[in-house]
Amino acid sequence: MKPFQKDLNAIVVIAAREVLRFFKDWKTSLVFSLMFPVLFLGILGGSIAQNLGVGLGYNYLQFALLGMVAATIAMNTMMSVTSLVEDRENDFTQEIFVAPISRYSIILGKIVGGSITAILQLFAFVIIALVMGISIGLSAIGWILLLAPLICISGGTLGVLVASIFSSSPKTADKGVIMFVFAQMFLSGAFIPINNSSGVLGALSHAMPMTYLVDLLRGLVYQGTPFYSQIAMYNPLLDLAVVVAISIASFVVGTFLFVRSERNR
Amino acid sequence: MQPIIQVEKLTKRYRKTDKPAVNNISFNVQPGEFFAFLGPNGAGKTTTISILTTTLAKTSGNITIAGYDINSQAKDVRQNVGIIFQNPSLDLNLSAEENIRLHVNLYGVYAYKPLFRLMPKEYQSQVIEMAEFMGLQNDLFKPLKTFSGGMKRKLEIIRGLMHKPKVLFLDEPSQGLDAVSRRDLWTYLRNVAKTQNTTIFLTTHYIEEAENADRVCIVNHGQIIFLGTPSEMKNRLLGKYLVIDAENRSMLSSQIESFKSEITQDGKFKIYFEQQTPQQILAQIKTPLTCMELHTPSLEEAYMNLIENKTQEATV
Repeated sequence: MKPFQKDLNAIVVIAAREVLRFFKDWKTSLVFSLMFPVLFLGILGGSIAQNLGVGLGYNYLQFALLGMVAATIAMNTMMSVTSLVEDRENDFTQEIFVAPISRYSIILGKIVGGSITAILQLFAFVIIALVMGISIGLSAIGWILLLAPLICISGGTLGVLVASIFSSSPKTADKGVIMFVFAQMFLSGAFIPINNSSGVLGALSHAMPMTYLVDLLRGLVYQGTPFYSQIAMYNPLLDLAVVVAISIASFVVGTFLFVRSERNR
Repeated sequence: MQPIIQVEKLTKRYRKTDKPAVNNISFNVQPGEFFAFLGPNGAGKTTTISILTTTLAKTSGNITIAGYDINSQAKDVRQNVGIIFQNPSLDLNLSAEENIRLHVNLYGVYAYKPLFRLMPKEYQSQVIEMAEFMGLQNDLFKPLKTFSGGMKRKLEIIRGLMHKPKVLFLDEPSQGLDAVSRRDLWTYLRNVAKTQNTTIFLTTHYIEEAENADRVCIVNHGQIIFLGTPSEMKNRLLGKYLVIDAENRSMLSSQIESFKSEITQDGKFKIYFEQQTPQQILAQIKTPLTCMELHTPSLEEAYMNLIENKTQEATV
Protein backbone atom coordinates (compact mmCIF):
# COMPACT_ATOMS: atom_id res chain seq x y z
CA MET A 1 0.00 0.00 0.00
CA LYS A 2 1.35 3.47 -0.92
CA PRO A 3 1.69 6.05 1.90
CA PHE A 4 -1.29 8.06 0.63
CA GLN A 5 -3.47 4.94 0.37
CA LYS A 6 -2.36 3.85 3.82
CA ASP A 7 -3.44 7.16 5.38
CA LEU A 8 -6.74 7.14 3.49
CA ASN A 9 -7.33 3.57 4.66
CA ALA A 10 -6.55 4.67 8.23
CA ILE A 11 -9.12 7.50 8.05
CA VAL A 12 -11.75 4.99 6.89
CA VAL A 13 -10.77 2.49 9.63
CA ILE A 14 -10.87 5.02 12.46
CA ALA A 15 -14.22 6.37 11.23
CA ALA A 16 -15.59 2.86 10.74
CA ARG A 17 -14.62 1.94 14.29
CA GLU A 18 -16.67 4.84 15.69
CA VAL A 19 -19.71 3.72 13.69
CA LEU A 20 -19.15 0.04 14.55
CA ARG A 21 -18.98 0.88 18.26
CA PHE A 22 -22.19 2.90 17.95
CA PHE A 23 -24.07 -0.09 16.55
CA LYS A 24 -22.31 -2.77 18.66
CA ASP A 25 -23.30 -1.08 21.87
CA TRP A 26 -26.66 -0.03 20.47
CA LYS A 27 -28.46 -0.11 23.81
CA THR A 28 -26.10 2.43 25.37
CA SER A 29 -26.04 4.45 22.14
CA LEU A 30 -29.85 4.52 22.07
CA VAL A 31 -30.12 5.53 25.73
CA PHE A 32 -27.55 8.33 25.32
CA SER A 33 -29.08 9.46 22.03
CA LEU A 34 -32.52 9.73 23.59
CA MET A 35 -31.35 11.02 26.98
CA PHE A 36 -30.11 14.35 25.66
CA PRO A 37 -33.26 15.33 23.71
CA VAL A 38 -35.47 14.08 26.56
CA LEU A 39 -33.58 16.11 29.17
CA PHE A 40 -33.00 19.28 27.21
CA LEU A 41 -35.84 19.40 24.71
CA GLY A 42 -38.48 17.51 26.68
CA ILE A 43 -37.85 18.67 30.22
CA LEU A 44 -35.90 21.96 29.97
CA GLY A 45 -37.45 23.09 26.67
CA GLY A 46 -40.94 21.97 27.70
CA SER A 47 -40.73 23.87 30.99
CA ILE A 48 -39.43 27.06 29.37
CA ALA A 49 -42.10 26.84 26.66
CA GLN A 50 -44.89 26.50 29.23
CA ASN A 51 -43.66 29.17 31.62
CA LEU A 52 -41.70 31.74 29.61
CA GLY A 53 -42.37 31.01 25.95
CA VAL A 54 -45.92 32.40 25.83
CA GLY A 55 -45.06 36.02 25.07
CA LEU A 56 -42.30 35.35 22.55
CA GLY A 57 -44.53 35.62 19.52
CA TYR A 58 -43.13 32.46 17.93
CA ASN A 59 -43.10 28.73 18.76
CA TYR A 60 -40.39 28.35 21.39
CA LEU A 61 -40.11 24.57 21.09
CA GLN A 62 -39.47 24.77 17.36
CA PHE A 63 -36.85 27.47 18.02
CA ALA A 64 -35.21 25.35 20.75
CA LEU A 65 -35.31 22.17 18.68
CA LEU A 66 -33.24 23.75 15.89
CA GLY A 67 -30.73 25.16 18.36
CA MET A 68 -30.38 21.89 20.21
CA VAL A 69 -30.02 19.85 17.05
CA ALA A 70 -27.15 22.08 15.88
CA ALA A 71 -25.50 22.23 19.31
CA THR A 72 -25.84 18.51 20.02
CA ILE A 73 -24.44 17.16 16.78
CA ALA A 74 -21.59 19.68 16.84
CA MET A 75 -20.76 18.81 20.44
CA ASN A 76 -20.96 15.07 19.85
CA THR A 77 -18.43 15.34 17.03
CA MET A 78 -16.27 17.60 19.16
CA MET A 79 -16.24 15.16 22.05
CA SER A 80 -15.37 12.31 19.72
CA VAL A 81 -12.20 14.22 18.78
CA THR A 82 -11.34 15.33 22.33
CA SER A 83 -11.60 11.71 23.50
CA LEU A 84 -8.24 11.29 21.73
CA VAL A 85 -6.63 13.20 24.58
CA GLU A 86 -8.67 11.72 27.43
CA ASP A 87 -8.10 8.14 26.29
CA ARG A 88 -4.53 8.51 25.09
CA GLU A 89 -3.19 6.14 27.71
CA ASN A 90 -6.19 3.81 27.71
CA ASP A 91 -7.83 1.24 25.52
CA PHE A 92 -7.62 1.29 21.74
CA THR A 93 -6.47 4.92 21.50
CA GLN A 94 -2.93 3.84 22.46
CA GLU A 95 -2.96 1.47 19.52
CA ILE A 96 -4.00 4.26 17.14
CA PHE A 97 -1.16 6.52 18.31
CA VAL A 98 1.58 3.96 17.64
CA ALA A 99 0.26 2.93 14.20
CA PRO A 100 2.38 4.01 11.19
CA ILE A 101 -0.06 6.71 10.10
CA SER A 102 0.03 10.49 10.27
CA ARG A 103 -1.56 12.41 13.15
CA TYR A 104 -3.63 14.25 10.54
CA SER A 105 -5.23 10.95 9.47
CA ILE A 106 -6.10 10.15 13.09
CA ILE A 107 -7.80 13.51 13.57
CA LEU A 108 -9.64 13.35 10.23
CA GLY A 109 -10.79 9.79 10.97
CA LYS A 110 -12.15 10.89 14.32
CA ILE A 111 -13.97 13.88 12.76
CA VAL A 112 -15.55 11.71 10.04
CA GLY A 113 -16.53 8.92 12.46
CA GLY A 114 -17.85 11.35 15.06
CA SER A 115 -19.84 13.17 12.36
CA ILE A 116 -21.52 9.98 11.14
CA THR A 117 -22.56 8.88 14.63
CA ALA A 118 -23.70 12.41 15.49
CA ILE A 119 -25.91 12.49 12.39
CA LEU A 120 -27.33 9.09 13.35
CA GLN A 121 -28.30 10.63 16.70
CA LEU A 122 -30.41 13.19 14.83
CA PHE A 123 -33.09 10.56 14.55
CA ALA A 124 -33.50 10.60 18.33
CA PHE A 125 -34.37 14.30 18.13
CA VAL A 126 -36.93 13.59 15.43
CA ILE A 127 -38.53 10.89 17.60
CA ILE A 128 -38.71 13.17 20.65
CA ALA A 129 -40.02 16.07 18.54
CA LEU A 130 -42.76 13.81 17.15
CA VAL A 131 -43.66 12.57 20.64
CA MET A 132 -43.87 16.18 21.88
CA GLY A 133 -45.93 17.21 18.86
CA ILE A 134 -43.46 19.85 17.63
CA SER A 135 -44.15 20.69 13.99
CA ILE A 136 -40.95 21.44 12.16
CA GLY A 137 -41.93 20.97 8.54
CA LEU A 138 -40.16 19.25 5.69
CA SER A 139 -38.10 22.26 4.64
CA ALA A 140 -36.64 22.52 8.15
CA ILE A 141 -35.74 18.81 8.06
CA GLY A 142 -34.16 19.40 4.65
CA TRP A 143 -32.03 22.28 5.95
CA ILE A 144 -31.00 20.24 9.01
CA LEU A 145 -29.86 17.33 6.84
CA LEU A 146 -28.12 19.63 4.39
CA LEU A 147 -26.25 21.54 7.07
CA ALA A 148 -25.53 18.53 9.33
CA PRO A 149 -22.17 17.66 7.71
CA LEU A 150 -21.00 21.30 7.98
CA ILE A 151 -22.15 21.49 11.62
CA CYS A 152 -20.33 18.23 12.42
CA ILE A 153 -17.11 19.25 10.69
CA SER A 154 -17.21 22.59 12.45
CA GLY A 155 -17.71 20.88 15.83
CA GLY A 156 -14.94 18.40 15.03
CA THR A 157 -12.43 21.07 14.08
CA LEU A 158 -13.28 22.96 17.26
CA GLY A 159 -12.59 19.69 19.06
CA VAL A 160 -9.10 19.60 17.56
CA LEU A 161 -8.39 23.04 19.02
CA VAL A 162 -9.73 22.03 22.45
CA ALA A 163 -7.74 18.76 22.30
CA SER A 164 -4.56 20.70 21.53
CA ILE A 165 -5.15 22.93 24.58
CA PHE A 166 -5.53 19.97 26.89
CA SER A 167 -3.08 17.58 25.23
CA SER A 168 -0.33 18.27 27.76
CA SER A 169 -2.60 17.44 30.71
CA PRO A 170 -4.92 14.56 29.80
CA LYS A 171 -6.11 14.20 33.40
CA THR A 172 -7.80 17.59 33.30
CA ALA A 173 -9.06 17.16 29.73
CA ASP A 174 -12.45 15.64 30.63
CA LYS A 175 -13.35 18.47 33.02
CA GLY A 176 -12.02 21.13 30.63
CA VAL A 177 -14.01 19.73 27.72
CA ILE A 178 -17.23 19.66 29.76
CA MET A 179 -16.69 23.30 30.80
CA PHE A 180 -16.13 24.27 27.18
CA VAL A 181 -19.18 22.32 25.96
CA PHE A 182 -21.54 23.83 28.54
CA ALA A 183 -20.26 27.36 27.94
CA GLN A 184 -20.98 26.89 24.22
CA MET A 185 -24.41 25.40 24.88
CA PHE A 186 -25.61 28.15 27.20
CA LEU A 187 -24.02 31.16 25.49
CA SER A 188 -24.73 30.24 21.86
CA GLY A 189 -28.47 30.68 22.04
CA ALA A 190 -29.13 27.01 21.48
CA PHE A 191 -31.63 26.89 24.37
CA ILE A 192 -32.67 30.46 24.96
CA PRO A 193 -32.76 33.55 22.76
CA ILE A 194 -29.66 35.75 23.15
CA ASN A 195 -30.75 38.64 20.92
CA ASN A 196 -30.99 40.92 23.97
CA SER A 197 -27.80 39.73 25.70
CA SER A 198 -25.50 42.63 26.55
CA GLY A 199 -22.33 43.41 28.48
CA VAL A 200 -19.97 40.52 29.23
CA LEU A 201 -22.60 37.88 28.43
CA GLY A 202 -23.36 39.53 25.10
CA ALA A 203 -19.68 39.72 24.19
CA LEU A 204 -19.09 36.08 25.19
CA SER A 205 -22.15 34.96 23.21
CA HIS A 206 -20.87 36.63 20.08
CA ALA A 207 -17.41 35.12 20.64
CA MET A 208 -18.76 31.56 20.71
CA PRO A 209 -18.30 29.68 17.40
CA MET A 210 -21.48 27.74 18.18
CA THR A 211 -23.53 30.95 18.08
CA TYR A 212 -22.95 31.28 14.33
CA LEU A 213 -23.76 27.62 13.65
CA VAL A 214 -27.06 27.84 15.52
CA ASP A 215 -27.89 31.19 13.92
CA LEU A 216 -27.08 29.84 10.44
CA LEU A 217 -29.52 26.95 10.80
CA ARG A 218 -32.27 29.11 12.27
CA GLY A 219 -31.72 31.86 9.70
CA LEU A 220 -32.16 29.41 6.83
CA VAL A 221 -35.20 27.69 8.35
CA TYR A 222 -36.98 30.93 9.27
CA GLN A 223 -36.08 32.95 6.16
CA GLY A 224 -39.20 34.31 4.46
CA THR A 225 -41.30 33.89 7.60
CA PRO A 226 -42.63 36.74 9.78
CA PHE A 227 -40.39 35.53 12.65
CA TYR A 228 -37.10 35.86 10.76
CA SER A 229 -36.20 39.33 12.05
CA GLN A 230 -37.05 38.29 15.62
CA ILE A 231 -34.98 35.10 15.57
CA ALA A 232 -32.02 35.48 13.21
CA MET A 233 -29.17 37.66 14.46
CA TYR A 234 -27.00 37.78 11.35
CA ASN A 235 -27.36 37.24 7.64
CA PRO A 236 -26.93 33.49 6.94
CA LEU A 237 -24.08 34.28 4.52
CA LEU A 238 -22.18 36.05 7.28
CA ASP A 239 -22.84 33.12 9.62
CA LEU A 240 -21.56 30.74 6.96
CA ALA A 241 -18.42 32.82 6.40
CA VAL A 242 -17.68 32.94 10.14
CA VAL A 243 -18.31 29.20 10.54
CA VAL A 244 -16.01 28.30 7.63
CA ALA A 245 -13.28 30.70 8.80
CA ILE A 246 -13.39 29.42 12.40
CA SER A 247 -13.39 25.79 11.20
CA ILE A 248 -10.35 26.25 8.97
CA ALA A 249 -8.46 28.22 11.62
CA SER A 250 -9.32 25.69 14.36
CA PHE A 251 -8.23 22.76 12.22
CA VAL A 252 -4.95 24.28 11.09
CA VAL A 253 -3.90 25.77 14.44
CA GLY A 254 -5.36 22.89 16.53
CA THR A 255 -3.73 20.14 14.47
CA PHE A 256 -0.37 21.92 14.48
CA LEU A 257 -0.43 22.43 18.26
CA PHE A 258 -1.82 18.94 18.93
CA VAL A 259 0.80 17.17 16.84
CA ARG A 260 3.59 19.24 18.40
CA SER A 261 2.53 18.91 22.02
CA GLU A 262 1.56 15.24 21.77
CA ARG A 263 5.18 14.08 21.72
CA ASN A 264 6.86 16.98 23.51
CA ARG A 265 5.84 16.21 27.05
CA MET B 1 25.69 -7.90 12.25
CA GLN B 2 23.89 -4.54 12.26
CA PRO B 3 22.02 -4.07 15.60
CA ILE B 4 18.23 -3.89 15.27
CA ILE B 5 18.06 -1.28 18.05
CA GLN B 6 20.86 1.27 18.44
CA VAL B 7 20.66 3.75 21.32
CA GLU B 8 23.45 6.32 21.66
CA LYS B 9 23.69 8.81 24.52
CA LEU B 10 19.92 8.98 25.05
CA THR B 11 18.76 11.65 27.49
CA LYS B 12 15.22 12.64 28.40
CA ARG B 13 14.50 15.57 30.66
CA TYR B 14 10.81 16.26 31.37
CA ARG B 15 9.62 19.83 31.64
CA LYS B 16 9.89 21.39 35.09
CA THR B 17 12.15 18.67 36.49
CA ASP B 18 15.70 18.98 37.86
CA LYS B 19 17.01 15.51 37.09
CA PRO B 20 16.76 13.78 33.73
CA ALA B 21 14.49 10.69 33.72
CA VAL B 22 17.00 9.01 31.39
CA ASN B 23 20.59 10.20 31.55
CA ASN B 24 22.98 9.58 28.66
CA ILE B 25 22.38 5.85 28.16
CA SER B 26 23.70 3.77 25.27
CA PHE B 27 23.02 0.15 24.29
CA ASN B 28 22.45 -2.05 21.24
CA VAL B 29 20.10 -4.97 20.68
CA GLN B 30 20.87 -7.63 18.06
CA PRO B 31 18.27 -9.11 15.66
CA GLY B 32 16.41 -12.05 17.21
CA GLU B 33 17.70 -11.23 20.69
CA PHE B 34 15.54 -11.50 23.82
CA PHE B 35 16.52 -8.31 25.66
CA ALA B 36 15.23 -7.61 29.18
CA PHE B 37 15.18 -4.00 30.38
CA LEU B 38 14.77 -3.98 34.15
CA GLY B 39 14.79 -1.47 36.97
CA PRO B 40 12.80 -0.26 39.97
CA ASN B 41 9.84 2.13 39.69
CA GLY B 42 10.93 5.53 38.41
CA ALA B 43 14.19 4.16 36.98
CA GLY B 44 13.41 5.36 33.45
CA LYS B 45 12.07 2.13 31.88
CA THR B 46 8.72 3.47 30.68
CA THR B 47 10.35 6.70 29.48
CA THR B 48 12.86 4.70 27.42
CA ILE B 49 10.24 2.37 25.94
CA SER B 50 7.97 5.35 25.12
CA ILE B 51 10.84 7.03 23.25
CA LEU B 52 11.74 3.82 21.42
CA THR B 53 8.13 3.34 20.35
CA THR B 54 7.96 6.99 19.10
CA THR B 55 5.24 8.15 21.51
CA LEU B 56 7.56 10.48 23.41
CA ALA B 57 10.22 12.86 22.10
CA LYS B 58 13.79 12.53 23.41
CA THR B 59 15.80 15.49 24.69
CA SER B 60 19.04 14.34 23.02
CA GLY B 61 20.80 11.28 21.63
CA ASN B 62 20.59 9.12 18.52
CA ILE B 63 18.30 6.12 18.11
CA THR B 64 17.73 3.84 15.15
CA ILE B 65 15.35 0.89 15.01
CA ALA B 66 15.52 -1.58 12.11
CA GLY B 67 17.83 0.94 10.42
CA TYR B 68 15.36 3.85 10.65
CA ASP B 69 15.96 7.04 12.58
CA ILE B 70 13.42 7.48 15.35
CA ASN B 71 12.88 11.18 14.63
CA SER B 72 13.02 11.61 10.89
CA GLN B 73 11.58 8.17 10.00
CA ALA B 74 9.08 7.64 12.82
CA LYS B 75 6.47 6.06 10.54
CA ASP B 76 8.97 3.47 9.27
CA VAL B 77 9.97 2.71 12.85
CA ARG B 78 6.30 2.18 13.83
CA GLN B 79 5.78 -0.09 10.83
CA ASN B 80 8.60 -2.32 12.05
CA VAL B 81 7.69 -2.61 15.73
CA GLY B 82 4.86 -4.25 17.64
CA ILE B 83 3.88 -3.06 21.10
CA ILE B 84 2.14 -4.78 24.00
CA PHE B 85 1.25 -1.95 26.36
CA GLN B 86 1.25 -1.98 30.15
CA ASN B 87 -2.46 -1.05 30.14
CA PRO B 88 -4.74 -3.13 27.89
CA SER B 89 -5.16 -1.46 24.51
CA LEU B 90 -8.12 -3.41 23.16
CA ASP B 91 -11.56 -2.14 22.20
CA LEU B 92 -13.83 -4.05 24.56
CA ASN B 93 -16.92 -3.23 22.51
CA LEU B 94 -15.60 -5.23 19.56
CA SER B 95 -14.87 -8.92 19.03
CA ALA B 96 -11.35 -10.38 19.12
CA GLU B 97 -11.21 -10.64 15.33
CA GLU B 98 -12.49 -7.09 14.86
CA ASN B 99 -9.65 -5.83 17.06
CA ILE B 100 -7.15 -7.74 14.92
CA ARG B 101 -8.76 -6.50 11.69
CA LEU B 102 -8.57 -2.86 12.79
CA HIS B 103 -4.89 -3.38 13.59
CA VAL B 104 -3.95 -4.76 10.17
CA ASN B 105 -5.96 -1.99 8.53
CA LEU B 106 -4.19 0.69 10.56
CA TYR B 107 -0.82 -0.80 9.63
CA GLY B 108 -1.79 -0.82 5.96
CA VAL B 109 -1.34 -4.59 5.63
CA TYR B 110 -4.85 -5.00 4.20
CA ALA B 111 -7.51 -2.51 3.04
CA TYR B 112 -10.51 -2.05 5.33
CA LYS B 113 -13.45 -4.39 4.86
CA PRO B 114 -16.47 -4.29 7.17
CA LEU B 115 -16.69 -8.09 7.58
CA PHE B 116 -14.23 -10.92 8.25
CA ARG B 117 -15.50 -12.95 5.29
CA LEU B 118 -14.84 -10.01 2.96
CA MET B 119 -11.17 -9.85 3.99
CA PRO B 120 -8.57 -11.59 1.76
CA LYS B 121 -8.16 -15.36 2.24
CA GLU B 122 -4.54 -14.75 3.29
CA TYR B 123 -5.69 -12.63 6.24
CA GLN B 124 -8.36 -15.15 7.24
CA SER B 125 -5.93 -18.05 7.32
CA GLN B 126 -3.26 -16.00 9.14
CA VAL B 127 -5.74 -15.03 11.88
CA ILE B 128 -7.02 -18.58 12.31
CA GLU B 129 -3.52 -20.02 12.36
CA MET B 130 -2.31 -17.53 15.01
CA ALA B 131 -5.47 -18.04 17.09
CA GLU B 132 -4.94 -21.81 17.02
CA PHE B 133 -1.33 -21.32 18.06
CA MET B 134 -2.43 -19.19 21.00
CA GLY B 135 -5.41 -21.40 21.88
CA LEU B 136 -8.01 -18.73 21.06
CA GLN B 137 -9.54 -20.38 17.97
CA ASN B 138 -12.95 -20.86 19.65
CA ASP B 139 -13.12 -17.29 20.93
CA LEU B 140 -12.18 -15.26 17.86
CA PHE B 141 -15.67 -13.96 17.17
CA LYS B 142 -16.78 -13.56 20.77
CA PRO B 143 -17.02 -10.10 22.38
CA LEU B 144 -13.98 -9.19 24.45
CA LYS B 145 -16.17 -8.60 27.50
CA THR B 146 -16.20 -12.39 27.95
CA PHE B 147 -12.36 -12.67 27.87
CA SER B 148 -10.16 -13.27 30.93
CA GLY B 149 -7.02 -11.17 31.53
CA GLY B 150 -4.81 -13.95 30.12
CA MET B 151 -6.93 -14.29 26.96
CA LYS B 152 -6.78 -10.54 26.37
CA ARG B 153 -2.98 -10.59 26.65
CA LYS B 154 -2.75 -13.47 24.17
CA LEU B 155 -5.00 -11.54 21.79
CA GLU B 156 -2.76 -8.48 22.10
CA ILE B 157 0.22 -10.65 21.19
CA ILE B 158 -1.55 -12.06 18.12
CA ARG B 159 -2.49 -8.53 17.11
CA GLY B 160 0.99 -7.17 17.79
CA LEU B 161 2.54 -9.81 15.51
CA MET B 162 0.06 -9.58 12.62
CA HIS B 163 2.10 -7.01 10.68
CA LYS B 164 5.25 -9.15 11.20
CA PRO B 165 7.25 -6.62 13.25
CA LYS B 166 11.00 -6.99 13.55
CA VAL B 167 10.89 -5.91 17.19
CA LEU B 168 8.18 -6.67 19.74
CA PHE B 169 8.13 -4.31 22.74
CA LEU B 170 6.52 -5.79 25.82
CA ASP B 171 5.91 -3.26 28.60
CA GLU B 172 5.07 -5.20 31.79
CA PRO B 173 3.10 -7.82 29.82
CA SER B 174 2.36 -10.03 32.83
CA GLN B 175 0.89 -7.32 35.02
CA GLY B 176 -2.38 -8.49 36.53
CA LEU B 177 -1.99 -12.09 35.37
CA ASP B 178 -1.97 -15.11 37.68
CA ALA B 179 0.98 -17.50 37.78
CA VAL B 180 -0.55 -20.04 35.36
CA SER B 181 -1.50 -17.38 32.81
CA ARG B 182 2.00 -15.89 33.08
CA ARG B 183 3.64 -19.25 32.40
CA ASP B 184 1.33 -19.95 29.43
CA LEU B 185 1.94 -16.50 28.03
CA TRP B 186 5.69 -16.98 28.06
CA THR B 187 5.48 -20.41 26.49
CA TYR B 188 3.46 -18.95 23.60
CA LEU B 189 5.62 -15.88 23.34
CA ARG B 190 8.90 -17.77 23.14
CA ASN B 191 7.50 -20.09 20.48
CA VAL B 192 6.15 -17.26 18.37
CA ALA B 193 9.32 -15.18 18.68
CA LYS B 194 11.44 -18.16 17.71
CA THR B 195 9.37 -19.12 14.67
CA GLN B 196 9.15 -15.52 13.39
CA ASN B 197 12.71 -14.55 14.47
CA THR B 198 11.30 -11.52 16.27
CA THR B 199 13.48 -9.44 18.62
CA ILE B 200 11.89 -9.12 22.05
CA PHE B 201 12.40 -6.02 24.18
CA LEU B 202 10.88 -6.66 27.60
CA THR B 203 10.32 -4.54 30.67
CA THR B 204 8.96 -6.40 33.69
CA HIS B 205 8.65 -6.37 37.46
CA TYR B 206 8.78 -10.17 37.52
CA ILE B 207 12.53 -10.68 37.45
CA GLU B 208 12.23 -14.45 36.95
CA GLU B 209 10.74 -13.71 33.51
CA ALA B 210 14.13 -12.33 32.47
CA GLU B 211 15.98 -15.57 33.43
CA ASN B 212 15.67 -16.78 29.83
CA ALA B 213 16.71 -13.47 28.30
CA ASP B 214 19.82 -13.37 26.13
CA ARG B 215 20.87 -10.15 27.83
CA VAL B 216 19.69 -8.09 30.75
CA CYS B 217 20.01 -4.32 31.05
CA ILE B 218 19.39 -2.83 34.49
CA VAL B 219 18.62 0.86 34.84
CA ASN B 220 18.39 2.88 38.02
CA HIS B 221 18.00 6.65 38.42
CA GLY B 222 18.05 6.99 34.63
CA GLN B 223 21.42 5.26 34.14
CA ILE B 224 22.52 1.77 33.12
CA ILE B 225 24.05 -0.03 36.10
CA PHE B 226 24.44 -3.44 34.46
CA LEU B 227 24.39 -4.82 30.92
CA GLY B 228 25.20 -8.48 30.26
CA THR B 229 23.84 -12.02 30.26
CA PRO B 230 21.78 -13.27 33.23
CA SER B 231 24.56 -15.72 34.20
CA GLU B 232 27.19 -12.97 34.06
CA MET B 233 25.00 -10.91 36.34
CA LYS B 234 24.58 -13.72 38.83
CA ASN B 235 28.22 -14.76 38.77
CA ARG B 236 29.57 -11.27 39.04
CA LEU B 237 27.34 -10.19 41.85
CA LEU B 238 26.73 -13.26 43.94
CA GLY B 239 28.92 -16.26 44.73
CA LYS B 240 27.69 -19.84 44.67
CA TYR B 241 28.15 -21.60 47.99
CA LEU B 242 27.65 -24.76 50.00
CA VAL B 243 26.26 -24.77 53.53
CA ILE B 244 27.48 -27.74 55.58
CA ASP B 245 27.44 -28.81 59.21
CA ALA B 246 28.65 -31.72 61.35
CA GLU B 247 28.39 -32.86 64.95
CA ASN B 248 32.16 -32.50 65.22
CA ARG B 249 32.46 -28.87 64.07
CA SER B 250 36.11 -28.41 65.08
CA MET B 251 37.22 -31.36 62.90
CA LEU B 252 35.10 -30.04 60.02
CA SER B 253 36.57 -26.57 60.45
CA SER B 254 40.13 -27.92 60.14
CA GLN B 255 39.28 -29.84 56.96
CA ILE B 256 37.88 -26.77 55.12
CA GLU B 257 40.67 -24.35 56.03
CA SER B 258 41.91 -24.15 52.46
CA PHE B 259 38.53 -22.90 51.15
CA LYS B 260 37.04 -19.43 51.29
CA SER B 261 34.39 -19.81 54.00
CA GLU B 262 32.47 -18.10 56.76
CA ILE B 263 30.30 -19.19 59.67
CA THR B 264 26.58 -18.56 59.46
CA GLN B 265 24.48 -17.17 62.33
CA ASP B 266 23.47 -20.66 63.44
CA GLY B 267 27.08 -21.92 63.43
CA LYS B 268 27.06 -23.75 60.10
CA PHE B 269 29.85 -23.40 57.54
CA LYS B 270 29.32 -21.48 54.30
CA ILE B 271 31.92 -22.43 51.64
CA TYR B 272 32.14 -20.31 48.47
CA PHE B 273 33.18 -21.96 45.24
CA GLU B 274 33.99 -20.51 41.83
CA GLN B 275 36.61 -22.66 40.12
CA GLN B 276 35.97 -25.92 42.00
CA THR B 277 32.86 -28.03 41.81
CA PRO B 278 30.90 -28.92 44.99
CA GLN B 279 32.10 -32.55 44.55
CA GLN B 280 35.76 -31.48 44.68
CA ILE B 281 35.08 -29.67 47.96
CA LEU B 282 33.12 -32.53 49.47
CA ALA B 283 35.83 -35.03 48.46
CA GLN B 284 38.23 -33.37 50.91
CA ILE B 285 35.83 -33.55 53.87
CA LYS B 286 36.06 -36.74 55.93
CA THR B 287 33.87 -35.64 58.85
CA PRO B 288 30.35 -37.15 58.73
CA LEU B 289 27.98 -34.31 57.73
CA THR B 290 24.60 -33.61 59.32
CA CYS B 291 23.62 -30.96 56.77
CA MET B 292 24.53 -30.14 53.17
CA GLU B 293 22.82 -27.43 51.09
CA LEU B 294 23.88 -26.19 47.66
CA HIS B 295 23.06 -22.57 46.87
CA THR B 296 23.06 -21.12 43.33
CA PRO B 297 21.70 -17.56 43.15
CA SER B 298 18.58 -16.59 41.20
CA LEU B 299 18.46 -13.59 38.89
CA GLU B 300 16.08 -11.95 41.34
CA GLU B 301 18.66 -12.19 44.15
CA ALA B 302 21.34 -10.75 41.88
CA TYR B 303 18.97 -7.96 40.87
CA MET B 304 18.07 -7.12 44.46
CA ASN B 305 21.74 -7.17 45.42
CA LEU B 306 22.60 -4.82 42.57
CA ILE B 307 19.80 -2.33 43.26
CA GLU B 308 20.42 -2.34 47.04
CA ASN B 309 24.18 -1.83 46.63
CA LYS B 310 23.63 1.05 44.22
CA THR B 311 21.07 2.61 46.57
CA GLN B 312 23.54 2.37 49.46
CA GLU B 313 26.29 3.90 47.31
CA ALA B 314 23.98 6.74 46.39
CA THR B 315 23.07 7.29 50.05
CA VAL B 316 26.73 7.31 51.16
